[in-house]
Amino acid sequence: MLKTAVALSTLALFAGAAQAQNKTLTISVYAFAQDEYKEMLYAPFEQKCGCKLVIETGNSVERLAKMEANKANPVIDMAVVSMADALQASRAGLVDRIDTAKLANHDKLYDLAKDPNGDGMSVGYTFYATSIVYRSDKMKIESWADLLKPEIVSHVAFPNVTTNQGPPALYMLEQAMGKDSPDFREAIAAVGAKKDDIVTFYVKSSQLVQLMQQEEIWAAPIGRFSWAPFTKLGLPLAWATPKEGQTGGMNVMIVAKGSKNRDLALQFMDYWLSTEVQTKLAEKLVDSPANKEVKIPPEVAENITYGADTVKSLKLIPSAVALDQRDAWLKAWNSKVGQ
Amino acid sequence: MFHNRTEALLLALPAAVFAAVVFLVPVAILLSESFRSPAGWSLAAYAGFFSEPLNQTVFWRTLKLGLEVTAVSAVIGYAAAFAIVSLPPGSKGRMIGLIMLPMMVSPVARTYAWIVILGRTGIVNQALHGLGLTDAPVRILFSETAIFIGLLQLFLPLMIISLISALENLPKDVVPAARVLGANWLQIFWKVVLPLTREGLVIGGTLVFTGSLTAYITPAILGGSKVLMLETLLYQRVTVANDFVSASVIALILVAMSFSTNLLLKRIATARAGT
Repeated sequence: MLKTAVALSTLALFAGAAQAQNKTLTISVYAFAQDEYKEMLYAPFEQKCGCKLVIETGNSVERLAKMEANKANPVIDMAVVSMADALQASRAGLVDRIDTAKLANHDKLYDLAKDPNGDGMSVGYTFYATSIVYRSDKMKIESWADLLKPEIVSHVAFPNVTTNQGPPALYMLEQAMGKDSPDFREAIAAVGAKKDDIVTFYVKSSQLVQLMQQEEIWAAPIGRFSWAPFTKLGLPLAWATPKEGQTGGMNVMIVAKGSKNRDLALQFMDYWLSTEVQTKLAEKLVDSPANKEVKIPPEVAENITYGADTVKSLKLIPSAVALDQRDAWLKAWNSKVGQ
Repeated sequence: MFHNRTEALLLALPAAVFAAVVFLVPVAILLSESFRSPAGWSLAAYAGFFSEPLNQTVFWRTLKLGLEVTAVSAVIGYAAAFAIVSLPPGSKGRMIGLIMLPMMVSPVARTYAWIVILGRTGIVNQALHGLGLTDAPVRILFSETAIFIGLLQLFLPLMIISLISALENLPKDVVPAARVLGANWLQIFWKVVLPLTREGLVIGGTLVFTGSLTAYITPAILGGSKVLMLETLLYQRVTVANDFVSASVIALILVAMSFSTNLLLKRIATARAGT
């Protein structure tokens, strides 16, 4: 009898373990910093849940196209995308409402990240500020409009409208010009009028470090995540705090509609939002924390977007505006700048 | 070489099936999108594309730049290939190695190098200033000129290699024979060398032109978005506007431009051969 009980218990134990090993969660993420994510997020989570993570990477367009193609039979369980892409996925019926009651760490998030699009379909996990890096020995930047001043404009690299930093920079320029048109009509016209003076409209922020080093440029709007390499150049560079404030962007988590592993996806999201994981990722300069309980040393905070005051000062472009105006921005930009 | 035609076809079958499955089928599906409209099959997307003044400008700019790069590559390529085939075998191998060397470096790295060379504090501006030709730095970077230079450097080796291969098949005595008969160097090139090396020119020209049309990173970095090209426009349509129909239209235009140039080069070379 005892032998039978032991045998059955052992069998149940192995069966449980085998079942756990069979659990698979497929996530779709940016290709960025995968080694760090593996070490600080994926591997510890696999150990914790006794499951296997399948990681799919690519840019937003590719990944959303794949979700759309597999809409009837979802392959992806959860994905991380930009705020605007999350709204696009929501409008296309690709995502499900997030049951925040199952996210123990949801209350620890800054308000900005709790429901970024106001539709209950996404949760922010990281964000970044966008401001201006500039040579403090050559100029003083007090406003976004300073970028177009005659004595400065011929030393400026401006982000192309197709980059993540393009629309935010135009958004702040529009505000600095005292306008608030969602199509950025005034800002694009102003940039177009100076297109021959502006050094370049960059497509990759990595390009700027070289241009700054060669003294080809003295100022450029950038995301805070690009700031660290500039500090290593040994040049007198400063991060501007323009009077109109800073803008930026946020990346969010979504759950695929029809996911067969919805609870596991929520467990994974909750783990990613935990103070422990967000702190590790911030310390390695991978993600700026959306969890307000994260505490990091000042030298780390200097290189990311950190702190309640910074978060409060961010003026993000509403996702609906970004999505609805994307085509109009591109058209106006091409006719004024790319012509 | 093969016992019969069937055997040759069987050997080619795996490669043909692979190419069809991973390339032809997806491309055909993608391109078919550009002929669809709510009312059925139509050319509306093409008409819409060419009705926009911006697209017309970008189309002509891309075509012009591609032809310029191809023409200049052919001129420089013939000179370089002539010089190389006349070298002794050892030196010839070393020179071909040197020409191939840049092709082993990523186009991104090669493009970034031009930022150093063409910048305000770069070698070109330093030389111009040193020679007293300019007082202030000349803006070369982020212009059509910069894209031209970048594309030329990127694709010139393909032209040189194609022409070396063609010139090596040129009978050794035709050039001396033409000289003896009183032809000058221009006549020798136009009436003897060009017709006999037309295959190399067509292959090299097609590679350079197609490469120039489809390169993305060089126009994007060296043009700095001030100079929009078809390939940068295609990238925008896909990544920003999510407009796959417009992107398919641009892709098909690029393919048509490559085929047309190939045919044009063949026609020119054949016409020369007939003279």
